[in-house]
Amino acid sequence: MPSIDCQHIRNFCIVAHIDHGKSTLADRLLEQTGTMTVREMKDQVLDDMELERARGITIKARAVRMEYKRGGETYELNLIDTPGHVDFHYEVSRSLACCEGALLLVDAFQGVEAQTVANGYAAIEHDLAIVPVINKIDLVQARTEEVADEMRQSLGVVPDEVVRVSAKTGVGVQQLLDAIIDRVPPPKGDPNAILQAMVFDSHYDKYRGAITYVRVMNGVVRKGDRIRFLRAGAVYEVLELGQFVPRQRACEQLQAGQVGYLICNIKSIADVHIGDTVTVAQGEAAKPLPGYKPLQRMVYCGLYPSDGQDFTELRDALEKLSINDPSFEFSPETSEALGFGFRCGFLGLLHMEIVQQRLEGEADIDLVQTAPNVTYQITTRKGETLEIHRPQEVPDPGQIEEFRQPIVRVNFLIPDEYIGAVMNMCHERRGVQKSLEHLSAARVMLTYDLPLAEVIYDLHDKLKSATRGYGTMNYDLIGYEPADLVRLDILVNGNKVDALSIICNRGDADRRGRAVVKKLAEEIDRHMFEIAVQAAIGSRVIARETVKAMRKNVTAKCYGGDITRKRKLWAKQREGKKRMKSIGSVDIPQKAFMAVLHTGDEKK
Amino acid sequence: MATMGEPAPCDTLFLGGGTPTHLTLGQLTRLLAAVERWFPLAHGGEWSVEANPADITLSTADLLADYGVNRVSLGAQSFDADKLSLLERDHRALDIRHAVEICLPRFTSVSLDLIFGAPGENLDAWKQDLQSALELAPQHISTYGLTFERGTTFWGRRLSGDLRSIEEDTERAMYETAIDTLTDAGFEHYEVSNFARPGHRCRHNEVYWSGGRYWAVGPGAARYVGNTRSSNHRSTFTYLRRIRSGQSPVAESETLAPEDQAREKLVLGLRKMEGVLLADFERDTGFAPHDLAGGAISRFIQWGLLAQQGDRLQLTRSGLMVSDSLWPEILRR
Ligand SMILES: Nc1nc2c(ncn2[C@@H]2O[C@H](COP(=O)(O)OP(=O)(O)O)[C@@H](O)[C@H]2O)c(=O)[nH]1
Ligand SMILES: [Mg+2]
Repeated sequence: MPSIDCQHIRNFCIVAHIDHGKSTLADRLLEQTGTMTVREMKDQVLDDMELERARGITIKARAVRMEYKRGGETYELNLIDTPGHVDFHYEVSRSLACCEGALLLVDAFQGVEAQTVANGYAAIEHDLAIVPVINKIDLVQARTEEVADEMRQSLGVVPDEVVRVSAKTGVGVQQLLDAIIDRVPPPKGDPNAILQAMVFDSHYDKYRGAITYVRVMNGVVRKGDRIRFLRAGAVYEVLELGQFVPRQRACEQLQAGQVGYLICNIKSIADVHIGDTVTVAQGEAAKPLPGYKPLQRMVYCGLYPSDGQDFTELRDALEKLSINDPSFEFSPETSEALGFGFRCGFLGLLHMEIVQQRLEGEADIDLVQTAPNVTYQITTRKGETLEIHRPQEVPDPGQIEEFRQPIVRVNFLIPDEYIGAVMNMCHERRGVQKSLEHLSAARVMLTYDLPLAEVIYDLHDKLKSATRGYGTMNYDLIGYEPADLVRLDILVNGNKVDALSIICNRGDADRRGRAVVKKLAEEIDRHMFEIAVQAAIGSRVIARETVKAMRKNVTAKCYGGDITRKRKLWAKQREGKKRMKSIGSVDIPQKAFMAVLHTGDEKK
Repeated sequence: MATMGEPAPCDTLFLGGGTPTHLTLGQLTRLLAAVERWFPLAHGGEWSVEANPADITLSTADLLADYGVNRVSLGAQSFDADKLSLLERDHRALDIRHAVEICLPRFTSVSLDLIFGAPGENLDAWKQDLQSALELAPQHISTYGLTFERGTTFWGRRLSGDLRSIEEDTERAMYETAIDTLTDAGFEHYEVSNFARPGHRCRHNEVYWSGGRYWAVGPGAARYVGNTRSSNHRSTFTYLRRIRSGQSPVAESETLAPEDQAREKLVLGLRKMEGVLLADFERDTGFAPHDLAGGAISRFIQWGLLAQQGDRLQLTRSGLMVSDSLWPEILRR
């Protein structure tokens, strides 16, 4: 590929709330620029993992190079696809750092939603040129002008600058391409400076090792160069580099302003840090690029093999999975109740669900998963600071000086008729209101600070039901705050089941305790003996339920013709205990481990 | 039967599978004659026939007795008219009394089957059934808790909300009442559902429960020969078609490994109230019960579900009540 001057390069991304049409628009752009012929097009080519397809979300950012000819000039357009879900917030921010412009895409019917605002602000913070776009203007319910006004109110967009398109029919896409060239500035880098490139994504290929996606800020990287990853401190030789068009295509060099991939025979994806800086191996290195953050796991849970399932199988499956997903972290742990397993850290709940589904779907592993929890901090009387990744680690109350929990700032974008309902929901969860702002006559942005623990489990579902599906939310970690927290233990027949402990507010402990033991008692099948399920703080029992003993379970007839059938039936009942854990002779099903999420505030 | 090739003498015979007595006298005569020819009963053997109370007449009873039948098992179920109609039976209490009167002088043992736990039934009604049965002085009684099984009309009727199963506590009380009432009246409780006056146990069924071997003839019938359990096609039509075209009527068969035979024998043995004699069991099977399922057995002993006295391992009363929950642990390899 001939060297291209920066004036002809445009790097941009599309930021949007989920389902506003980002993937569909990307397809249209690929088609319109001739990057893909219609025949080659699978719908939504950028979402290529099966699971993404199944769930309709984009997990991994991708970059695609397009060529666009206008007035005798050829432009290189690099579209960087950003993940659409809050769990992948950090990856969004790294993708933004690779761009000079962003298409701020809003659905002509849905209007401005939480991620529109969150991602829109993020793009503005990164100093990107914003090209506001209203999509789906073909819809009969489209309220294009109102939505343009919402964009003005919430993000300061000038309504005249809004490009109106239909990614479905292709209307307006040509004008959008022109707007990209005219309004997104070309990259500023210096091709003659020392190599400085940012890693904004990676994925693992079975045959070639880790593939890193980079944006070259300054200098040039060529095939055969020896390069250094500053954060990891590792040096590699560039075996291949290239761009995605949208499939991988090798080339000789990538220069300042360009986006592409590097293959360096990196054996472990753990050596690739999103946000890391790549420079030359010898001589003076470039400065690290700003904004690097180590990945922050927001949610932890324990994963254990079910009874009869092999520990090593689970370990192998986790290792395999983490190769392609460096954001997921795991380390061995033991639980008195569950035996050997792993403590796993995730970016968020969705991320946790995806990992769990992959384990069960791809690796066919039968798991017992403990309820997710956030990371707490404790300062002990001795002055130590502890990071608490699981409730079992909470020391005795006497040793605790201060117990802190993570707080997030949550933006809710809702129709104004639901303000009351959403406020109630937040107050029940000890939220502190920060602001209330009207975006248009009927839409408001409501901002609260809430404990992360109150947000991750079910706030999204609660919001949807409180607003008949119209409300959206987005959150950002803002820090840790002291709170009156306690560890609530669960005892089954007098034995503490460490994997069932939870951390909750002292004021909620009674209600939570009652709700949890009630739910647990429902989930545990009757046994040959009575089972007491208790909730306790320290040695004080605060709630109790009993699972009554089975009263009668006896086959009356077992003659010649019945024997085989009965024997098979009984033997099968043994197998039916998969996805269970036997704890002191009590079989606890997987679902019971989630029972501890019951808060007791469910309306009947 | 002719496929046997040559007659096979037997210690016990059981003509069951519903109501062989439904046949006309002529048909019944042919059947009895064939059985007599191919399965001659050893001296002192037991020959049982199942009978529907309404079918028993003086002439059927005489015919059965003439061929050497010495045990009759009557499907009495209940003496309550409503319960009988709910159970879809076509006989009345009077038919049962009649049948028992006819049978008692003609056969060594007369047995009555009773059902408890029918929808709507209460404990008093069940006690009444037990009393009525005892008054007729049969030598043997079997009591069965009504079960809702897939494929029966009861299953469908319960699904449709027409029938409701009774409370588990009531069902347990009924079962315990049966055990107490019948043992007080001098019956031995010798298996989960079976009670006999001394010397009147069903020897044929005891073969099943001791892991013994047996032949079988007829649709759905099950045999245990060598190390193989097999059963015939359930459909009468298929069964006949196969027999007529010289094919085997067997629908399913499985050969059990020695260890699985032993586990099964242990379960069936523990369903007998006298339980299992450990040394005998090991001698017969080559496996010691504690080697097969030691962990489970000691846990069950600790929980009071099994008891071990000397060489004998048996269910306790509370173990009996929930015994189906024990078997999976014992069958597990
Ligand atoms: N009517 C209409 N539907 C559209 C348009 N663009 C996208 N969609 C539909 O909106 C839904 C979400 O689109 P998608 O591209 O997956 O959204 P993403 O989540 O932002 O990537 C899909 O059902 C698309 O077919 C459009 O311009 N008009
Ligand atoms: Mg998408």
